[in-house]
Amino acid sequence: MEKARFFDVNRHSPNGMMSLEMNVDAAAAGQLPQQFLNLGWEQPMHHDAQFESALSSLVSSPSSNPQAANESTVMHELIGRLGSICNSGEATPTSRYHSAHTSYYSTPLNSPPKLNLSTMDIQLQGTGGLPIPGNQMAMGQFAPFAADPGFAERAARFSCFGERSYVNLENQFALPETGKLSRVSSSRSLKAVGRPQMGVHDNGKDAPLSDPERVDMEMRSKPDGRASGSTTLDESEFANSQEASSASDRTTAGVAKNNATKRKSAPKGKAKQVALLSSVTNPPKPTTEEYSDAKRSKLADINGVDQDSAVKPKTEQTGNAGEKQGKENNAKPPEPPKDYIHVRARRGQATDSHSLAERVRREKISERMKQLQDLVPGCNKLTGKAVMLDEIINYVQSLQRQVEFLSMKLATLNPQLDFNVENPTPKDMNQGHDPSSFLQQFHPLDQATTTFSYTQQPLNSIITNGVDAQGSFNTVDSSAHQIPCLQIHPLDGLAYSTSQVGNLRGNELHYVVQMGFVQSQLGAAFHSQSLPDEENCKSDKFSAQT
Amino acid sequence: MESKSLSRDCNNPNPDPKMAFHFLRALLHIQQSAATTSFTGRRRRIKRAAYASMAYSSGARRAWSRALIHTLRRRRQRQQRARTAVALPRRIRVARPPRREVAAADQAQVLRKLVPGGTGMEYCMLLEETADYIRCLATQVQLMRNVVDSVTNS
Repeated sequence: MEKARFFDVNRHSPNGMMSLEMNVDAAAAGQLPQQFLNLGWEQPMHHDAQFESALSSLVSSPSSNPQAANESTVMHELIGRLGSICNSGEATPTSRYHSAHTSYYSTPLNSPPKLNLSTMDIQLQGTGGLPIPGNQMAMGQFAPFAADPGFAERAARFSCFGERSYVNLENQFALPETGKLSRVSSSRSLKAVGRPQMGVHDNGKDAPLSDPERVDMEMRSKPDGRASGSTTLDESEFANSQEASSASDRTTAGVAKNNATKRKSAPKGKAKQVALLSSVTNPPKPTTEEYSDAKRSKLADINGVDQDSAVKPKTEQTGNAGEKQGKENNAKPPEPPKDYIHVRARRGQATDSHSLAERVRREKISERMKQLQDLVPGCNKLTGKAVMLDEIINYVQSLQRQVEFLSMKLATLNPQLDFNVENPTPKDMNQGHDPSSFLQQFHPLDQATTTFSYTQQPLNSIITNGVDAQGSFNTVDSSAHQIPCLQIHPLDGLAYSTSQVGNLRGNELHYVVQMGFVQSQLGAAFHSQSLPDEENCKSDKFSAQT
Repeated sequence: MESKSLSRDCNNPNPDPKMAFHFLRALLHIQQSAATTSFTGRRRRIKRAAYASMAYSSGARRAWSRALIHTLRRRRQRQQRARTAVALPRRIRVARPPRREVAAADQAQVLRKLVPGGTGMEYCMLLEETADYIRCLATQVQLMRNVVDSVTNS
C-alpha cells in the first residue's frame, strides 16, 4: 500500500519535480539513477514498519510527558530508537549507494548531516525546540539516509512545496503527501520542544528560502539543535534539504524569514507545542497514513512556511492521525501561494484565521515590549503589560521634563556665553587657541576625509579674520562670506558651523571634541545631510549669498 | 545614517554627531539673535531646537520624527504668520464643546499623546515608535547635559 503509493508518487512526479532529481542525477547515466531510485524506494519500505513501531512507541511515551523536564529523556529515547533503526538500515543503503552517490549525489549530499540536523531543527521549530543532547548522534545515524536516492526524490518533491513556483507540483503531490504529512505532524506533535532559538533572526520579511539554506542557518544559529522524534521526519527533512539545495539558491535572508515565521508560530515559553499542519497549497486527499504521512506532514511544515497558512487543527495521535488529518486536509480549500507570514496554531488553541492573526500581533507586541524593557532602566523586574506601560510613560515624561529643564538651564547660561564672546580680551586668547586647537582636531579628520581638507582653508581664513574681529558675530559672518568655498554644500555648513564654534569659548570646543563632534563621519554626514532646519537661518543666508 | 551607528546601550547613549551639530548650531543661532528676547522666549527656542535636532537626526525614517518635524514647521509657520499678519477682522468664535476627559487609565492613549505622531498609529507601531523615541530623547538629554556641563565648567 504505502510502497505502492511511494512508487506511484515517484513515477507520477511531475516533470518539474523529476527534473530536479534528474538534475541531481544528471551526471549519472540515465538508467543508473533510475535503478538507484528503485532500490532506494525499497529501502525506506523496509524501514517503514520499524519506523511505524518506533513512532507508535514514541507517540505513546511523549504523550504522557508533556513537560519540558521530561523532554530530554523522551528525546534520548527517540534517539536511541532511531539509532537502532538506522543501524539496521545502514548497511544496505551505504553499500549500494555510496559509490553511486558520491558521483551523482555529491551536490545535495555535501552536507547532509548538517542539513539533516538543521531540517530537524526547522521541523521542530514549529513545535518548539527541544534541546537535544544527542544531536550529533542523531546526525550520524541519519547519514545513511542521506545517501538514499529515494530521499533525494522525496526531498525534491517535498521541497517544491516550500517554493511558490512549484505550486502545481504541490497540487499534484497533495494527494499522496497529505497522509504523510498528517502522520508526521502527529508524531511530531508528541515531542515537546522547547523554544526555538531563533532569536538570532529578526522577523525578516524576505523571500522564502530553500530548505537547506534555511537549515544551514538554523544549524549555525542553533548549535545544540533539536532532534526530531522520528526518523521519518529526519528523512523527509534530509530529503528536503538535499533536494532544495540542489534545486534553488535562496538567500539567507529567506532563512531569516522562515525562521522568523517559525518563531512566530512557536513563541517562547510553551513547554509543549504542537506544530499544526498548515496545509501547503491544496487539500490533501485522504491517503493512508504511515511513514509517508509522517514525511509529508513534516515536509509540509517546512514548506508551509512559504505558503499561506491555513492552520489545520491539531494533529492527533497516530491511531487517528491519518484519517482525521485526511479529513481536515480535505476540508481545507486550496489556497494560492501568497506572500503571507505563516503561523502555526499551537496545540490547545483556536485555529481560525482571526485568532491566528491576533496571536501574531500579540507576539509582535510582546517583542516590542521586550525592546522597550531594555530601553527603560529598571524595567527588567517588572512583569505585565500594564505595569510596563506605566513605567514607559513615566520614563518618557521624565525625559521630556529633563529636556525642558536643560533647555531652561541653557537659556540661563546663554548670557554667559554671550558675555564670553563679547569680551574681547579673553576672547583674543581664546580665539588664538581655540581655532588652532580646533584645527588640530580636524587634522586627523583631514586624513580621513577629503572634505576636511576642503574646510581647512576657510577655517584658517576665518580664524585670522575672527581674531581681528574680536569675536563679533557679524564680523565672523562677513569673513565667512568672503570665503567662496563656504557657500554651497552642506559641507560648507559644516565649515561655517565649525568656524562659529571656533569663536565660542574654549570649553565649548573641547566639549565638542569630547562629544565626538569631530569625526570623520561628520563630513560624510553633512554631505548626505539635508539641512531643513528652521532654527538655523544661517543656511538661508548662505543660500542667499550663492 | 552612519553617524547614528552609535551604541544602543540604553541608559547612556552617545550623542550622535548629526544631532550634536544641529543642536549646537541652533544654540549658536539663538545666542546670536537672542540678545533681545526674554528668558522664556529663549528657553522656548532652545527647547524647540532640541526637539528639532532630535527629529532631524532621525530624519524621515521614523514616524515620530516626521510628525515632530511637521508640528515644528506648522508652529513656526504660524509664528511667522502671526508676526507678519495684519490685524484680522474679528471673527465670531464658535464655542467649542468642552473636551471630554480621556481616561488616563488608557495607557495607550497617554502614550499616544506623549509620543509625537502617536495618535495615528496602531498599538504595535506605537510601541516601536516609543522605543525609538526614547532612544532619541535619551541621546538628546545626554547632549544637552554635556553642553551645560561644558558651559558651567568654564
